[in-house]
Amino acid sequence: MTARSLTVIALGVLAACGDGPGAGDRRILRVAYEREIDLLNPFTSQNLADISYTMIEGLVTTDENNRYVPVLASAIPTMANGLLTVEPNGQVRATWPLRSGVLWHDGAPFSAADVCFTWRFVIDPKSETYNREQYLNIVGCETPNDTTVVFTWSGEYAYYDGLFEAILPRHILGSMSAEEIVRYEPYNRGSKTIGTGPFRFAEWKSGEYIRVVRNDRYWRGADLPAIDEIVWAFIPDANTRLNALKAGRYHFGRILPVQVKEIQSLPGVRTHLVNSNSVMHLDLNVKSDRGRRLFGDLRVRQAIAHAIDREAIATQLMEGTVTIANSPINVSSSYHDARAVHPAFDPAQAAALLDQAGWTAGPDGVRQRDGERLGFTMLNRAGATDRIAVAQVIQAQLKAVGIEVRFETLESAAWTLRWRTGQWESIVSAWFLPADPSLTGLYACDGANNMTGFCDPALDSILERSDRTLDPDRRKRDLDLAQEMLVATARTLPLYYNVVPEVVSRSIGNYRGSGTNFGSFWNVFEWPLAP
Amino acid sequence: MSGYLGRRLLQMVPLLLGISIVVFAVIQAAPGGPEGALLAAGRFVDPAAIEAYRARLGVDQPLPVQYLRWLGAAVSGDLGASFSTSRPVLEMIGERLPATIELMGAAFAIAALAAFGAGAIGGFWPGGWADRIATGGAFLGMAMPIFWLGLVAQLVFGVTLGWLPISGTHTIGATSLGDHFAHLALPAVVLSSRYVASWSRYFRASLLQAAASDHVRTAMAKGLSIVAVRRAHLLRNALGPVASVVTINLAELFTGAVVTETIFAWPGIGRLFVQGMYARDYPLLMGILLLGSLAVVVMNLVADLIYGALDPRVRLR
Repeated sequence: MTARSLTVIALGVLAACGDGPGAGDRRILRVAYEREIDLLNPFTSQNLADISYTMIEGLVTTDENNRYVPVLASAIPTMANGLLTVEPNGQVRATWPLRSGVLWHDGAPFSAADVCFTWRFVIDPKSETYNREQYLNIVGCETPNDTTVVFTWSGEYAYYDGLFEAILPRHILGSMSAEEIVRYEPYNRGSKTIGTGPFRFAEWKSGEYIRVVRNDRYWRGADLPAIDEIVWAFIPDANTRLNALKAGRYHFGRILPVQVKEIQSLPGVRTHLVNSNSVMHLDLNVKSDRGRRLFGDLRVRQAIAHAIDREAIATQLMEGTVTIANSPINVSSSYHDARAVHPAFDPAQAAALLDQAGWTAGPDGVRQRDGERLGFTMLNRAGATDRIAVAQVIQAQLKAVGIEVRFETLESAAWTLRWRTGQWESIVSAWFLPADPSLTGLYACDGANNMTGFCDPALDSILERSDRTLDPDRRKRDLDLAQEMLVATARTLPLYYNVVPEVVSRSIGNYRGSGTNFGSFWNVFEWPLAP
Repeated sequence: MSGYLGRRLLQMVPLLLGISIVVFAVIQAAPGGPEGALLAAGRFVDPAAIEAYRARLGVDQPLPVQYLRWLGAAVSGDLGASFSTSRPVLEMIGERLPATIELMGAAFAIAALAAFGAGAIGGFWPGGWADRIATGGAFLGMAMPIFWLGLVAQLVFGVTLGWLPISGTHTIGATSLGDHFAHLALPAVVLSSRYVASWSRYFRASLLQAAASDHVRTAMAKGLSIVAVRRAHLLRNALGPVASVVTINLAELFTGAVVTETIFAWPGIGRLFVQGMYARDYPLLMGILLLGSLAVVVMNLVADLIYGALDPRVRLR
């Protein structure tokens, strides 16, 4: 057999294998996704659940301005619309009107009973739901009819409107215990991931992609969604994602802030800098004796704030992609207090404050007091290149005023363990906050996520008050006060709001973005996709 | 011979048991636990949820209890359920195995062709210009980090020239074999560079060593043609050591290539392992490591058998 005849045969084989079904003129949205998720149940997934939310809907979602907007609910109860009432015994009744004519993907009707079932699942300790404690303040769930659900709250809780991000199908999971649901592979993995959303599950190819297809019975109308299919291809490496987007193989992908410049000139795509609900910040720890000696003095904390040039970090290091943060509450939220501003970069003022506090320059340039050097360790997470770069800038800037910063770098899980147990002196880190602006978990003395040892009873009572009100204006006043107290006490230094650059093809319409845990696919049902 | 094989197979049992203890200890020695994954997204997590999670996984039990539970299930063929997905570990590994074997197999095939070509050139005509190029190429291949080579290959062939796809196993919506092989091309070639470099050096050195031996000089003195000497006396003698190296490398058919799979988004076992490490998914890590150990142990045995077949002086008893 000659080489030529071999070539002919090979070409023939390739030609015979032409494209199978699936291509054609279906409108397929191709997403270069940054990780393979663990499972699809949004209550127990440890990843961002934005893929799940295209199939599974909740009572509410969040829009691009961090506002809750109704989904399966037809309205969000408020005092103003009369659906939220305070009973004489102090309990609160929240009446949620639900959409009618909503069907689950398998054709079963969605009803109020599904909502109460979801509540009972979440409050079970075995549901492992990350924000279960908030649901525990609901003491009753009633269903006067199929399209109304009434929650009784034990008191006034400001975050009443942001729960129930997802509703579970009672007709599928109703006979199972919470632990069985958590382990139930068909719901976790797709074959029984039944929701009410614009897309229904089609395929999960391990290590490769998740594919969903249009829900032809979607309740918003027969012409929605406008896309036939979405495929999230798992591309964990950020450089590969960038290359794949450049090669024009995907409609949507998240990249790193430092990659933005490289893709800006690319035709056919727009890059949106989504302000995520995540604040990069410097935390100091006063749990140990040494921590209290170093950071217990307000002047030292203020000096550290004065010594760090946040402007330079934002404009130079992050190449102008980020905005400087002064509060943990995102600027897009109505609860953000624009008057709370941390001290400006002023090394001379920093030096003066340290002098006043008794820390004077030692022989090697590092300040000392009573034989103790003004130096501390910063705990870094290996691989978090942006955080480490920020930490290096801070290290250099603090050195300029005589403060020595040493680095200790640990792998992710090890870092988390040290952080959780409070065994650290300082840390550059970021929280991913829900759209609800509550600051209690972070800054209250016993806040579940306050690992710093800072405790301020005056702030505690303000935070408590801000959580226990149904009056948005009053809550705003209290949260403003809390944000200003955080500045005054200098216990944490917000650096910038993390941005997630999203590269979006110009063939996609109606993209609005979102920096919350719902992610930017929250309105994918109304995205048109040009061929 | 069959006695030898039986004995070697029997020896594997305590060996694998020992490996499983060491692997378990090493995994547990890494600080942090599976609950770290709950916090990796950076959101608030109810401490009660963390405790419920640990209790369900059984990581609140003493270590010996955890190991014995794992071992008890493992001897009956059950490698447990993954912490992060609650799915059977064997099933998760099984899904990824074909892609891993395909990528590694393709890389090995490419590497074998290139390495034997380059090694033969160097071994038969040492010091010539072709040998210098091959030697330089081998050292370059060894020195270049795979992740860098992979990204450059993506940029050149995927972005600039637009000839080849960059990631995944096929174009979304397409199912043709040609499309699939196009996706395989870059990762397989990039991955093969590592093996080409080392195998070609081994083969070249083996050939040179064999060429200097007495029986080759005698064969030449007998007046045999150079081609006949190379085929009958050089190649057979030089293949032994190379076969050992290649066979032991072949164990990687089942363990995958972490960096290449990550860069090219190839759904292999290497990537699964990395995910498992970040999530401290102990059962998944144990499963993959044990499978890898088994592959290495078996391939070592195969290498010994092949060596014996190639060299009659080696007797396996």
